Amino acid sequence: MGGYIVKRLIYAVPVIVGLSVIVFGIMALIPGDPAQAILGAYATPENVARINRDLGLDRPLHEQYFIWAGNLLQGDFGRSFILNRPVLDEILERFSATIVLAGAALVLCSVLGILAGVVSAVRQFGWTDRVVTLFVLIGISTPAFWLGLLFILIFAVHWRVLPASGMYAVYGGGDLPDLLRHLILPAVTLAIVATGVIARLTRAAMLEVLRQDFVRTARAKGLPERAVIYRHAFKAALVSIIPVIGVQAGFVMGGAVYIETVFQWPGIGAMLVNAISTRDILLVQGGVLVIAVTYVLINLLADVVQAVLDPRLKS
Amino acid sequence: MKSLLRGVAFAVLLAASPAVAQTPPNVLVVGQIAEPQSLDPHVVTAANDFRILVNVFEGLVRFGDGTLEIEPALATDWTISDDGLVYTFNLREGVTFHDGTPFNAEAVKFNFDRMLDENHPYYHTGPFPLSFFFGEIAETTVLDDYTVQFTLSLPFAPFMSNLAGTTGVIVSPAAVAEHDENFGRNPVGTGPFKFEEWQSNARVVVSRNDDYWGEPAGVEAVVFRPITDANTRVAEMLSGGIDVMVEVPPDNVAMFDTDPGFLVHDAVGPHVWYVMLNMREGPFTDVRIRQAANYAVNKDTLVNDVLQGTADVSAGPIPPAFNWAYNEDVGPYPYDPDRARELIAEAGIEDLSVTFYVTEGGSGMLDPIPMGTAIQADLEAVGFDVAIQTYEWNTFLANVNPGLEGKADMAQMAWMTSDPDTLPFLTLRTAAWPEDGGFNSSYYSNVDVDEMLDQARMETDFDVRAQLYKDVHQVVHDDAPWIFVANWKQNAVTTADVEGFALQPNFSLILSGVTKN
Amino acid sequence: MTQALATTPQTVSTARLSSWSLLLNNRLAAAGLLVLAVIGLIALLAPWLPIPNPNATLPANRLQPVLSEGHLLGTDHLGRDILARLIWGTRVSIAVGLSATAIAALIGSVIGLVSGYARGVTDNILMRGIDMLMAFPYILLALAIVAVLGPGLLNALYAIAIVNIPFFARNVRGVTVGLASREFVDAARLSGKSHAAILFTEVLPNVLPVIVITMSTTVGWMILETAGLSFLGLGAQPPQSDLGSMLGEGRRLLFNAPHVSIIPGLMIFALVMSINLLGDGVRDVLDPRLRAGDLTRPQAVTRFDRRTQPPQPSGARDILEVESLETSFQRGRATVPAVRNISFTLGKGECFGLIGESGSGKSVTALSLLGLVASPPGIITGGTVRIEGEDVFSRSETGIRALRGAKVAYVFQDPLTTLHPLYRVGEQIAEAILAHKRIGKTEARARAIALMEKVGIRDANERVDAFPHEMSGGQRQRIGIAMALANDPDIIIADEPTTALDVTVQAKILDLLQDLRRERGLALLLITHDFGVVAQMCDRVAVMKDGEIVECGRTADVLRAPRHEYTRKLIACVPELGQGKAFLESVRPLFAEVKP
Repeated sequence: MGGYIVKRLIYAVPVIVGLSVIVFGIMALIPGDPAQAILGAYATPENVARINRDLGLDRPLHEQYFIWAGNLLQGDFGRSFILNRPVLDEILERFSATIVLAGAALVLCSVLGILAGVVSAVRQFGWTDRVVTLFVLIGISTPAFWLGLLFILIFAVHWRVLPASGMYAVYGGGDLPDLLRHLILPAVTLAIVATGVIARLTRAAMLEVLRQDFVRTARAKGLPERAVIYRHAFKAALVSIIPVIGVQAGFVMGGAVYIETVFQWPGIGAMLVNAISTRDILLVQGGVLVIAVTYVLINLLADVVQAVLDPRLKS
Repeated sequence: MKSLLRGVAFAVLLAASPAVAQTPPNVLVVGQIAEPQSLDPHVVTAANDFRILVNVFEGLVRFGDGTLEIEPALATDWTISDDGLVYTFNLREGVTFHDGTPFNAEAVKFNFDRMLDENHPYYHTGPFPLSFFFGEIAETTVLDDYTVQFTLSLPFAPFMSNLAGTTGVIVSPAAVAEHDENFGRNPVGTGPFKFEEWQSNARVVVSRNDDYWGEPAGVEAVVFRPITDANTRVAEMLSGGIDVMVEVPPDNVAMFDTDPGFLVHDAVGPHVWYVMLNMREGPFTDVRIRQAANYAVNKDTLVNDVLQGTADVSAGPIPPAFNWAYNEDVGPYPYDPDRARELIAEAGIEDLSVTFYVTEGGSGMLDPIPMGTAIQADLEAVGFDVAIQTYEWNTFLANVNPGLEGKADMAQMAWMTSDPDTLPFLTLRTAAWPEDGGFNSSYYSNVDVDEMLDQARMETDFDVRAQLYKDVHQVVHDDAPWIFVANWKQNAVTTADVEGFALQPNFSLILSGVTKN
Repeated sequence: MTQALATTPQTVSTARLSSWSLLLNNRLAAAGLLVLAVIGLIALLAPWLPIPNPNATLPANRLQPVLSEGHLLGTDHLGRDILARLIWGTRVSIAVGLSATAIAALIGSVIGLVSGYARGVTDNILMRGIDMLMAFPYILLALAIVAVLGPGLLNALYAIAIVNIPFFARNVRGVTVGLASREFVDAARLSGKSHAAILFTEVLPNVLPVIVITMSTTVGWMILETAGLSFLGLGAQPPQSDLGSMLGEGRRLLFNAPHVSIIPGLMIFALVMSINLLGDGVRDVLDPRLRAGDLTRPQAVTRFDRRTQPPQPSGARDILEVESLETSFQRGRATVPAVRNISFTLGKGECFGLIGESGSGKSVTALSLLGLVASPPGIITGGTVRIEGEDVFSRSETGIRALRGAKVAYVFQDPLTTLHPLYRVGEQIAEAILAHKRIGKTEARARAIALMEKVGIRDANERVDAFPHEMSGGQRQRIGIAMALANDPDIIIADEPTTALDVTVQAKILDLLQDLRRERGLALLLITHDFGVVAQMCDRVAVMKDGEIVECGRTADVLRAPRHEYTRKLIACVPELGQGKAFLESVRPLFAEVKP
């Protein structure tokens, strides 16, 4: 197991290095530079050149990259040109907010998606299946950002039962119930699409497993149907659902970009959108790196969980 | 049964009520349009950041409440030499920064040297993009503890307005020394509020400075919340999550106006919204085509319908907010598509296909996409063929500031300034063409205008200077290097509980006189 | 191969016909197709519809509500007709969604094909590239791409396409890897075809369904993502409308004119929903397993719909009696019998053989006895099965379950697939005990170990914690038998228990079954295709062909004087040691008329 994890981590290294080169390249290709954003409307070519010189952005690109990479190896992510603070500070602050949001959404979509998928497979063609299928289809057919706006309109403005935006109340608050109240709308909005995807896959996986010989064996043993479905079929189906959840983690983190913008969640997605538009190259670089590493780790975790569930994969 | 129902309803209400966003008493929550870039007043350029900073910092002078006239602040009085080169300020005594260190002439010198002297030990805490406001300062001299003197290299009429602007405020030298490049997240000034806390993308909190030399602030604290999405900002206002919101989208103004729970405030300010026309190439090289464009665009519809009355029609480059320098005799181009067609026919230009740079949003840009689309439709109605290209703000600037040549024929632009000199000086002079480091991206050039502007800058006689700007206004209006569209009336909404709130013409947000019931 | 090619067009056209009818049979998919067709038609006809110019502004007439005069769906913030913009916008959105899908499918499939076919370093490099794309949050990637290329619908299209390449690449690669090692690919390679030719003429046609399925399931997603980019202002340039930009422009009016954003939102929803419904339908049609109706949930007990039900006889009877059993399968709307008129009895302690070639219906018969035929599609349409004189099919579901594994136990053919791969063998045996007895877990485990020893597994104490895949085939089948013995059944139904095993192991397992039968007085129903096994084990035998019993009698009699031609063939197929070539000579004439 340990060797497997190490091997997987080693595989991830070129992916992450390659990604950082690509990000650097893309940022270099985008017209405009951080000086533009710093200077705003007062950016004359002369001023831009002066600030670029001050920030060391007039050096050749590959030189900038290696300086960045060298510093990174010593744990230094550099300094954000725009925010004028260490990139790592900003990322840690923002990333923890994203972890809360995306984590909640991921738990929500996994639990709801699996539940809906299993129920819908077990009651195939029954009314529960139809209702679940309908909801799942609605979920994967609605633009989530639009749904988020409607949620704000309904729950925050119209009924005033939930806060419209932010992560904590601005004054007072800051405790767990406060966080949960702020979390409900964005987490639900973010989870909707992934719930649909997971539910569909769970349903299909369950139906496939229910046809397997070992399920017939379980029935031939005289096991009650509940045990056949939940102990035998579900465990086997879970093995193919877990990696899907891993991939969905990527989508949830991606979708967080919209949701964080709509709900003013102080997360890394909204930060990166902003950093791309202000050409804050080191911040973009650091942020994408952290997200990519998280994605790799989540998928590694999914694989480990899968291997724990399925002893065949270990050998 | 009925009482049971009522009990259930009460329980539901009770469960839900803590969720209802409610701002705390005696603390003002302000919905900002973005997270500040920094709280170092010399580093930032955005009006959004100034709204926080003017409550924490003060300059030697300031604009009077509701006017653009200069009045004393940290300086009690001053003298200007006859040649307009030497400014001497007597400073207010007994003022301390929030960190307890005294405000004095050394502090003033430190501030301007930090911005202007590349060899200053704290120059690296920059960059200071707006330091050119004070570029004419040759030397800052400490005469005694409470007297400071600026010597300019050239006479520079806008100097006092620039000192009154946010870039002219005084920061604590001790705090700069302590926090070095992190001063922007630990600001220390002399103002009625002192900095408490900045949580990224969540809030900036300032609290009442009880040792303030002037009238103490009316509320205990102000919380600035960055809410980038205008919709979410409106939702927060409607759901009671904030007390004050600035830059209300035009369509929501009417809604708040009719609701007794809210108060809508507006104030004219020196703002100009225009479309620059490329005069180096393409159809707009002909003055008749440029005038035709001005006749073709229905500006009344733009300000009244698209902007819902949150702006006035503009007539030329000088905004009416500079009332002393504004030429009342120049009226806006009327909406006259027939006249536009005539002018086009007269010019005899066949190919009227043009590219129009539009931004998605940006400082002072109002509703750029709907406005651009409406302008496009109006121009197409008289025979133009307009292709719009939209850009996110920084990309837009990166495309526009180096000049439109070879890329576009038209581009939207807006400026908010505190002196009538700034805008024409930066955007209309021949010497301000992009290749010379200016913002004249559409290559307007008129020797008379160049001369008048240079003269006005050095003119110390107020009336002569005013007349020069009035003349510039007239000439530029006739040359029509831009489509003159709108002067914005900035707006804000507060809840009915907020008292003493007023917007300032220079777009800052002074909150010391505000109370909350 | 040429032969196969020659027949391909015909099969394709019939397949297409039936695919269409299958698709239309799926009510949801048909509804999706209908909605999509209506939307598509309206969008296509936009230039000729009597709608106003979608770009004509009239700010004075802005934000008219729905159903106002001259504007069925009202006007937007510039006074433009929302209906007209909606129709033109839908046109744009569909076009962008389809083109983005096509581009992503093309590039992704090529990467997947090359990667899966070439393997090795190429595969590694390409797949690491795909990993990079996946690890980059997709919206940010699209955002960055648009920032580089500049705004505009076309660039947004490229961005969406690039972001979606990994889906296609990964799916296609997965299938290609499987195909690349298949015989027909090897054959093509040996015949000197170039790699490109093999990829495009041999592999691609087989991968095509996967590509089509992936496309049909991602088009909707692509339209949503394009809308998302437009919503962020990176798509259509004014005044052109697409659904996303309409939504983006309308959101600022959410509080005072909600219809401006709700209408395009609903349109996106209807469009994507119909595409998804249709996509599901397409997937169901193209996926061979779904097509066979294999992915329906089998019920706990086979459905009974008996048209004939023999009367309950009186008096002492055999332990198992099967009378006129008929089990059918549902094929579409028709019901086709799989086995008919099956009657036999099994006495206490007796071994009865059911022999026939594969497809003769012997397994269906065996599974029917306790209602274990997967249903759907299986239905028991007639006859009766009596255990100790009581009709099994008259029992309730719980009643039948009480028999399973207790009075009657099954041993199945391939222990690798019939044992649960994720549970330890001991747990699986203990579970069988616990299904019928109320005992503690520790005791159940002790009994499981005892049973494992009983069936001849050495070191049962350790092996009890092994997983099925850690055991040899013979050991696994011993576990299967131990599981069957768990509750001391009276009847064991062994369905080809040795077919999946080597000959030596086979003999040992048969010996074990024989010993247990004698020792415990079990009745054994042995299903096999091998007369050698029958001769060795069974007292009586029934021969099945095409779902019917063609001959039944004492084993010795049948072997000595087979009455049916088919029986003779089956007997002749048992080779004897040392017979060699003579065996083939003796078998050949029997099959002469079958293979000319």
